[in-house]
Amino acid sequence: MKFDVHRRGLSASGSASGASDGLVSNADPGVVVLTVLGDLDMAGAPGLRQAVVTEVADGARLVVLDLTAVDFVDSAGLGVVVGALRRLRAHDGELLVVCPEPRIRRVFELCDLDRVFTLHRDVEAAVAAMDRRAPA
Amino acid sequence: MSRVPPSGIELAVPPHPEFLQLVRAVVGAAAGTGSRSGTGGKSPLDPGRVADLRLVVSEAVTNAIEAQGAVGATDRILIRCRVDDEQVLVEVVDHGPGFDPDAVPDLPDVETPERLRHESGLGVALMHRLADGAEVESGPDGTTVRLMIRPG
Repeated sequence: MKFDVHRRGLSASGSASGASDGLVSNADPGVVVLTVLGDLDMAGAPGLRQAVVTEVADGARLVVLDLTAVDFVDSAGLGVVVGALRRLRAHDGELLVVCPEPRIRRVFELCDLDRVFTLHRDVEAAVAAMDRRAPA
Repeated sequence: MSRVPPSGIELAVPPHPEFLQLVRAVVGAAAGTGSRSGTGGKSPLDPGRVADLRLVVSEAVTNAIEAQGAVGATDRILIRCRVDDEQVLVEVVDHGPGFDPDAVPDLPDVETPERLRHESGLGVALMHRLADGAEVESGPDGTTVRLMIRPG
């Protein structure tokens, strides 16, 4: 699968607020879901990094990174995920990771990054965890 | 660890990240389908170990691309792979500036705030953790990484 990052916005309550467009206002940026497709390696890393930089610049503070459709990840890919967390936290935001695939979870575990990230089974679970952390 | 003999698969790719997927596919196919020495024998690795092999090869070639990029070396990166009954051997040869493998700093503990500053450097740790043997031979003319993967 060719590498790509898709974006959609959710309202703070977790309901869909439109496709990848500007419907989510800056005043209430809600939750941005970035869905990654393909191989997250040194070739894919810049695309994801840029997507996160753009979201933070546009005001996103709560980002869900959906890795369900990622076929492969290595340390270059994990580096971008760590960088995304750091960037969001620097803006008082948070990053949640959706990663149900055992073979992808394993790479997080091998790098001890399962101690940094809770790996959620789906987007709904990630959003629910976000709501518990910071009630809207 | 012995050198990878010339009878296995050999692949030379330009030092660009776009070729990583190809390298993983070729090495994974060689190790996963048991195309060893033309004997049609079975691969020694189960799918999980083939996934480990793809990962460590990706790390080694990523490091090679970075090393050559640092000095603008456009030489192709050489990947050799040999599968036999007991193991898979992979050799990755670059023409980067070389480095002192013993001088690679340890990462801070994963739960300290400093750890989040490290977006790279995990690759070598992964190679050592997953491969049954990982050797680095580095000099001013480049670096050769030899990886050995055995059944898990």
